[in-house]
Amino acid sequence: MNQAVISCLHANLPAVEAVLKDIELQGITNIICLGDLVGYGPQPNEVIELIRDKEIPTCQGCWDEDVVDGLDACDCSYPSQLAEKRGHFAHQWTTDKLTTENKDYLANLPYSIRKDKCLFVHGSPNSQHEYLLPDMDAFAALERVENARAEILFCGHTHQPYIRELADGSIAVKIKNAVTKDTQEKEIQLPMRRIVNAGSVGEPRHGGTKATYVVHNDVTNEVKIREVEYDIELTCKAIIDAGLPPIFAWRLKNGFEFAEQAEDASHVCER
Amino acid sequence: MIERWALVSGLKGDLDTYELIQKDLKKTPGNITLFVLGDMIGPEKNCNRLLHRLINPKSNDLQPWCIYGWWEEQILLESGYRGDQRAEALRINKGEEVVKSLTNAVDKSFLDWIAALQFGFVELDCGLIHGSSKDVGENLTLDTPPLTLLDRLTRLQVNRLFTARSKQQFHLELTEGIVNSEVEDLNGNRKKEQKVPQKAVIGIGAGKNYTIYDVGTDNTQFVQAGYKTEKRIKGFGRL
Repeated sequence: MNQAVISCLHANLPAVEAVLKDIELQGITNIICLGDLVGYGPQPNEVIELIRDKEIPTCQGCWDEDVVDGLDACDCSYPSQLAEKRGHFAHQWTTDKLTTENKDYLANLPYSIRKDKCLFVHGSPNSQHEYLLPDMDAFAALERVENARAEILFCGHTHQPYIRELADGSIAVKIKNAVTKDTQEKEIQLPMRRIVNAGSVGEPRHGGTKATYVVHNDVTNEVKIREVEYDIELTCKAIIDAGLPPIFAWRLKNGFEFAEQAEDASHVCER
Repeated sequence: MIERWALVSGLKGDLDTYELIQKDLKKTPGNITLFVLGDMIGPEKNCNRLLHRLINPKSNDLQPWCIYGWWEEQILLESGYRGDQRAEALRINKGEEVVKSLTNAVDKSFLDWIAALQFGFVELDCGLIHGSSKDVGENLTLDTPPLTLLDRLTRLQVNRLFTARSKQQFHLELTEGIVNSEVEDLNGNRKKEQKVPQKAVIGIGAGKNYTIYDVGTDNTQFVQAGYKTEKRIKGFGRL
C-alpha cells in the first residue's frame, strides 16, 4: 500500500492544500507528517487545524518544539546573526498567533512514529535539530538508522528531498584485551538500510520552488519524490500582510540559494 | 624527547592512588602530559583533599589536565548548575543516600572549578573524553557495535578516542571498513564508496589502572599504579 510522507509545512497553507490534493488524486489515504507545522509562514493555526481535521499522524518538529518549550536551537543553526534575528522574530510572531489549543496539540506530538520496519522522525532519531544531509558520512548515516532499530528512516528538517541507500557495508576490527591479553580479529557485515528525506511542503530548499513530499510503497519498498506546484504568490502576499520579514516571501519565490542553511549541518544543538 | 600521555580516570577522591600515579610518572621516561578524564569525585569518600591537590599541584607534581566525568555531571546537576534538572538518574538508580553522600563528599567551594571543566580535549588526531562524544555517561566497551564506535569517532573527527567511563582497559582498532552509498534526489543519482581509515577506541581504565600513550609511536601501554617497571610489551606493558 502506498503511503505519503510530508514534512516541514511551515504554516504555508496554499502549499499544504496543494500537496494534500496531489496525494488525494493518487488515491493515497495513508499520510504521515514529520513535523514543523509552523514557523516562517503566515498561517500556523490554519495549517495545524487542517492536519488535525484530517487526523494525520504527526511527529513534533524543531519549530513545533520551540514554540512550546521556548527557543532551543542556538545561533549555530543560522548562517548569520541577521538570519537568527529573523528566525527569533518569526518564533515570537508564531507564538503570539497560535491558539492555546493548537499549542497544546504541538506540545503533545510524539518525537517519532514507528510502523513496522519504518521509523518516522523530524530531524534524526537523536534530535529534532540534527540535519541528516544527503552526503553526510555514510557510516554515521547508517548508525542513525541501525541504532534506531529501523530498516527505513524517514526524516525531514533539511528541506531537501532524497532517498539514500546504504549497502554492502562491513567493518573489520582488531581487539586487544588488557585483562586476557588476547588479540582477536573479526569482520562485521553491516545491514542494508535506507534514509528517505521527505523534503519540505512549505519552504522548499532543493533548488526549485515546488513543494515536495515522498510516496512510499510498503510492499515493494519503492520510494518516489513528488514535486507539486502551488500558488506561491498567495503565500508571499500573506507573509507581507502579516508583517513577517519580506525575505521569507522572497526566498519562497526564488528557491534554494536564498534560503537559510546551517553552516555546520551535522551540528546538534545541546543548549 | 619522547612525548607520552598519561591517561587517568575514576580516582573518586582517592588521593593515595593519585600520589602513587604521580610517583610512577616521575620514573616514566619522556615528556609526560597528565590527563585526568573525569570521575575525580565519587560518593564513597571525601574528595576535598584530592580536588585541592588537582587544583594546586605540588611543585614536583605533573600538572594535571582535567575534564569532567559522570560523577562530576551528577553533582553539577544536583547543585543546580544545569538549570532545573537534578541528578534524577542517580537518585533513581542508586537512591537518595548516594546523592547525599556525593554532595557531602565535595565542598561547595569546588563546584565552580568543576563547572568550568571541559567535556573533553582534542589533541592532535585524538579525542580524550570520559564517556563518548555523544554523552558523558555513555559506556564504550569491547562489546559496543563497531558502527557506534565509528560514529563516536566521527563526531569528534578524530582517529583515536580515549574513553574512561567503562573503567575497562582495552584497545579496539577499526582496521578496515567500507559501505556503498547511493543517493537519489531531484538532480539524479550518485553513487559513492566510502572507506574507513584506520581508527581506534582505547579504554584507559580507572583508579590504579591507567594508560600511557606514546604519541610518536602510537603505542598504548596499560599500567597499574605501583607496579615496578617490567619489560614492555607492545600494547600491554606495565611500568
